[in-house]
Amino acid sequence: MLLPARAPRARYYADGGGPTADAMQRCLIIEDDAENAGYIAEGLRELGWQAVGCGDGLDALGRATRESWDVIVLDRMLPGEVDGLSILTTLRALGQRTPVLVLSALAATDERVRGLKAGCDDYLTKPFAFSELAARIEALVRRAQSGEQLREMRVADLRVDLISRSVERSGRPIPLQPREFRLLAYLLMHQGRAVTRTMLLESVWDYRFDPQTNIIDVHISRLRSKIDRDGERPLIHTVRGVGYMVSADGPGKPP
Amino acid sequence: MSVALTRWWTSIAFRQALIYGALVVLTMTVLLVVFYAETVGEWQRRIDRQIDATTQRLVEYDARQGMDALAAHINGLLGDGVDSDTEVYVLLDPAGRKVVGNLALAPAIIAPRSGIIERYVLRAGRPSESRLRITPLGGGGVLIVGRDMQDQRELESLIGRASLSAALITLLMAVGGALLFRRQLEHRIGAIRLTAARIERGDLAQRVPISAHQDEFARLSDDINTMLDRIHALMEGVRHVSNTIAHNIRTPLSRILARLRKAQDGRNPATELPAAVGAAIAEIEDLNVVFDKLLQIAEVEAGARRQSFAPVSLNAIAVNVLELYDAVAEAKGLKLTHALDHEPMTCGDGDLLANAMANLLDNAIKYTRTGGAVHVDTRRDAAAVTITVRDDGRGIPSSERARVGTRFYRLDRSVPGWGLGLASVTAIARLHGGRLVLEDAEPGLIARLVLPAFDSA
Repeated sequence: MLLPARAPRARYYADGGGPTADAMQRCLIIEDDAENAGYIAEGLRELGWQAVGCGDGLDALGRATRESWDVIVLDRMLPGEVDGLSILTTLRALGQRTPVLVLSALAATDERVRGLKAGCDDYLTKPFAFSELAARIEALVRRAQSGEQLREMRVADLRVDLISRSVERSGRPIPLQPREFRLLAYLLMHQGRAVTRTMLLESVWDYRFDPQTNIIDVHISRLRSKIDRDGERPLIHTVRGVGYMVSADGPGKPP
Repeated sequence: MSVALTRWWTSIAFRQALIYGALVVLTMTVLLVVFYAETVGEWQRRIDRQIDATTQRLVEYDARQGMDALAAHINGLLGDGVDSDTEVYVLLDPAGRKVVGNLALAPAIIAPRSGIIERYVLRAGRPSESRLRITPLGGGGVLIVGRDMQDQRELESLIGRASLSAALITLLMAVGGALLFRRQLEHRIGAIRLTAARIERGDLAQRVPISAHQDEFARLSDDINTMLDRIHALMEGVRHVSNTIAHNIRTPLSRILARLRKAQDGRNPATELPAAVGAAIAEIEDLNVVFDKLLQIAEVEAGARRQSFAPVSLNAIAVNVLELYDAVAEAKGLKLTHALDHEPMTCGDGDLLANAMANLLDNAIKYTRTGGAVHVDTRRDAAAVTITVRDDGRGIPSSERARVGTRFYRLDRSVPGWGLGLASVTAIARLHGGRLVLEDAEPGLIARLVLPAFDSA
């Protein structure tokens, strides 16, 4: 099955074009710090999202359960009686499967584990770069939508067979090491969207630590040398300040 | 009074001493009772034997010589002045009349019976408690032989009183001892409590005074002082770390501020501001990384991650981290080789151990010149497993080796980094009950991560 073509936006998307209002994705931002919430909402709106901020725990819980959202960004520490994790637990207890990304200043592993146990889909530590947040939100939405098991992925003339784990470009087979294959598959899974180095390290290598050297860059450039030969259209692109993206058309220009 | 009693009773020293005292009193009482029974009882038995012997002798005398001769003999015995304070003899004729004797008789007691009886009688005109043996004679008369027990009773009460006062004195001594013991103990514990109170008030330099006796309290005080020294050292360490952290965070913060202010006040805000903002963002991102790493070290040092420990293979960790770094080594033109031992297992957190090895490998690659070689091996010994990363770079002078594990210590400030890598490795090694060993590879550095072996058997 081929991935459905989706409306890409701004510079996180490979091809330009604006979304229509009814196709707009909705994000609920549950965060008590108004400035931070505004910063996230503004960034998401630039990317074509409909973003709604909510600073009160009880109110947020009501909106999260009553309305339909594509993704919820949830701050762990909220003032008042209802804290972030209890909102999450309640949502999950009600059978709500909306992807939730937890934002927290608590970075310790057991805090992260507590968040994941409560049912969050991703955990991001404050302070964060907006690009990291945006890439992760996109990945969450994508994951929630592609429920079916993929057999094959394509971008331009590159074909990745997930069953036989083989890769070919214009009929030319490209031998890859297992880790290179996972790296390419992950990039293709999120094609048209930027993925960050941390996301790659977490998903492809399963490491939660941050290596000192830019190891990911070196791996990408090695993969790139195998995929994008001289004279071929480049498919693996660097998104400045964010990470990498696979797309047929190159990273979009900033609006 | 009752308040004082409650206060005493809550004192374990007082209670222990009192219980001990009660035990002593009990032992003493048992001892006295046994002593009393043995002395007084034995004496009485001796008297009874004597009465029996005399009775037997007099009965035989009667059988041989007749009652008149017996009467004369008894008369002689009564008058000979031997035992005259205690002896009792009475001879009755068959009609029940007294022939001779020193008792005023009540008729009720004359009836012969077996054994020795004890009666209040009038002996020589005064009341006396006597032990008597009443024996019928062959000719129809009755013989009474006995002994006045007055002196015996006096002795008994004397011994009884003596025992009682002994018991009382023992009890008093036990209570007094308990109080004294309590005071002694309170005095010794008081010194420790006083020190604790002073430390609580904030004087951390206080130590428990050590007395000259090498007793339990001296040893306890010694232990407490050692503990206090350790806490003091740890707090000094924390203070040092906070100071270093403050320095390493304030310095970039003031750089950022200075640059932004300069740009704000500068002549060409249009060109200076974007550059200053860019530099500020880069510095803040760096600070963020430093924070993350510091928090991670703190988390590792706190030890909470021990809960998720599981058996892990050092080979699997080494292979994965090598794979992560092979592209970097290749790009730098380094020869990255490895040799793996058979199944070196330890019990630990795989992610942290990979992090530690990544740090070691990162350093090795960073400090090795292009064309150099980095070699990784794993090894299994009886009690320990080891990951070794060996490079042929410039190494670390032996004088610096002890300090490279401390936070923010950097040997070469021209190479990018934060000086937290080896501090992190050291913390991870300690969390796993292992250690980081740095040696000279001549040239280069050997970094060994030594961990306790996990034995699946």
